[in-house]
Order: sequence, then C-alpha cells, then structure tokens
Amino acid sequence: MFVKLSRAMLSACAILTLAGTLAFSSPEVRAQHSSMPPNARVYFIWPQDGQVVGSKFWVRMGLSGAGVAPAGVEYPNTGHHHLLIDTDLPSLTEAIPHDKNHLHFGAGQTEAQLELPPGTHTLQLLLGDAAHFPHDPPLMSKKITITVRS
Amino acid sequence: MALAPGRMIAAMLVLSPVPALWAQTAMPDHAVAEPTQPGEQKATPHRSPAPKNAYVYLGWPNDGEIIRSTRFRVWFGTRNFGVCPAGFDRPNTGHHHLLIDVPLPPLDQPIPHDKNHLHFGAGQTETVLELPPGKHTLQLLMGDADHVPHDPPVLSRRISVTVRAD
Ligand SMILES: [Cu+2]
Ligand SMILES: [Cu+2]
Repeated sequence: MFVKLSRAMLSACAILTLAGTLAFSSPEVRAQHSSMPPNARVYFIWPQDGQVVGSKFWVRMGLSGAGVAPAGVEYPNTGHHHLLIDTDLPSLTEAIPHDKNHLHFGAGQTEAQLELPPGTHTLQLLLGDAAHFPHDPPLMSKKITITVRS
Repeated sequence: MALAPGRMIAAMLVLSPVPALWAQTAMPDHAVAEPTQPGEQKATPHRSPAPKNAYVYLGWPNDGEIIRSTRFRVWFGTRNFGVCPAGFDRPNTGHHHLLIDVPLPPLDQPIPHDKNHLHFGAGQTETVLELPPGKHTLQLLMGDADHVPHDPPVLSRRISVTVRAD
C-alpha cells in the first residue's frame, strides 16, 4: 500500500527514489552500508568509564552530529543504539547479533535500565542502521569498564 | 538525499485520511499567518497516543544553571519512549522540540516552527544553542510524525537558565 501510494501520488523523481530503496534492501547490494557525517559521535552520557554502580542502573546513550531512528526507518544520517555488554566488537560488515550481550534499541530508545551481576563489566555502544548493520565508517563509543556493587 | 523527502511525504499521505486537511494543518507557518474568523474552529489533527510513563527531560543544562558561554550544548533525555525522525508514524516514538522563552503552544495543534520552537525532526537527541546573555526558559515537548504533541503530551519541566557573556 505504501508503494502504491508513492507511485500514484509522487513525481517521477520519487519513483526513482523508490527504485533505489528497493535495490538498497536486496541482499547483494547490502554491502553498501549507510553513511554518517564525519563529525558524528556516539558516547556514554552515563555511566562513565571506571564508574561504580548499583546492580540496577540506567544507561544514557549519547549521539551527536546525527539522529536516532527506530530499526526499519530509513532516513539519512540516523541509526539506533546497540549496547555491547562484556563482549568485543562484532563483525562490522554484518548485521549486529541479537543476544544478551548485544542489546538492540530498535524502538529508538536513548536510555535503558540494566541489571548486571556484581563485578566488573565492559560496555560499548555501536550504532546500527535501519537493517542493524554498522555504518560505514562504523560509529562506536569507547569501550568502558564499570564495577557493579554487590 | 532525495530518498528522505519522498518517503516522508508518502508517510504523511498514508497517515492523513484527507490530504487537504493535512495541507492545512501541517504548515504551522500558514496556520499562524492566516487570521481565523472569530468562532471559527481550527481542525483538530489526530494525536498519537503515548504511554503514561513516557517522559522527557533536559539532561543539561539543569534548572537554575548559570552558563558561562552564549554557546552551549543541550542534551535531551527520553525515557520509556523512542526517538524517530518526523514523518514516520511509529508507535511510542516522537521527535523533540525545544521551546525557548515561550509558554507551551496549543497541545492539539502542530507545534509552531520558528526561532522559539525548534524542531529536531532528524531524530537529534542533542543540540548546540546560541542565546544572548540574560535569563531564558527552556522546555522540551515531543511531537509525532506530523509535529503534533502526543496524548497525553510528553513534555519536560520548563527550566530557567542564565546565560553569561563568554
Ligand atoms: Cu539493531
Ligand atoms: Cu516537529
């Protein structure tokens, strides 16, 4: 229905755009990753590196020079946050894994409440595009280490 | 780049049952410029629902902050709610509007678009503001795909800051 409406109501330019969109989502062209402005930056507003926190805490995800969009929304210079917990960066040319070490904030969230066992943990943010792929170049935060109090 | 406007227009058309109504309500500048006859009812646009626990706040500056620069970064906090560029109708999302030195606009109309009502329709979650020295008020108000506040509205407290010359 979306497609029909666009074709009927928009100019030839929009139809070209649509064709581009369709081509973009087919797997063989997926090697072309979404771009980001060079000054874009993703970072932790909270917690900070070295911070000691309680077992249940809010994480605030910061993004500057770009925008947040839910997964599935294709809009230039946007992405959604992924929180990597106690893990290294995944492959930057594939969709970001979806498990308890790789949390997707595909509804456009910028804050999340975490509950982690006591001890030392690492956290890192990685932005992903509409299809959960890292951008090119990838947009990631510093990997920080926090300590969860018992 | 051509992709965005096309899709945005398409999204808006899908959303609005009557394109003529959309044309009237989605252009706040016109709505403000055209004098309404006394007693004339402005069309009430559709308001997207928001969860009761959704909330938005100014992460920085804080209420009462004295800012020692006329140029400063403001970040927007959003909880139990998502951020989405304007034009896309996704449940429980919206985009931020920063109201500067103005009271809340009508909550059942598209948010005005001027230097006192900044729209972050590209999904931005922070900005750099430049304000003259003096006292200013700041308030955040979320708007949906069509820039209309949600029901119930998702808004921050209105805070006061003092800007000092650099
Ligand atoms: Cu994702
Ligand atoms: Cu808006």
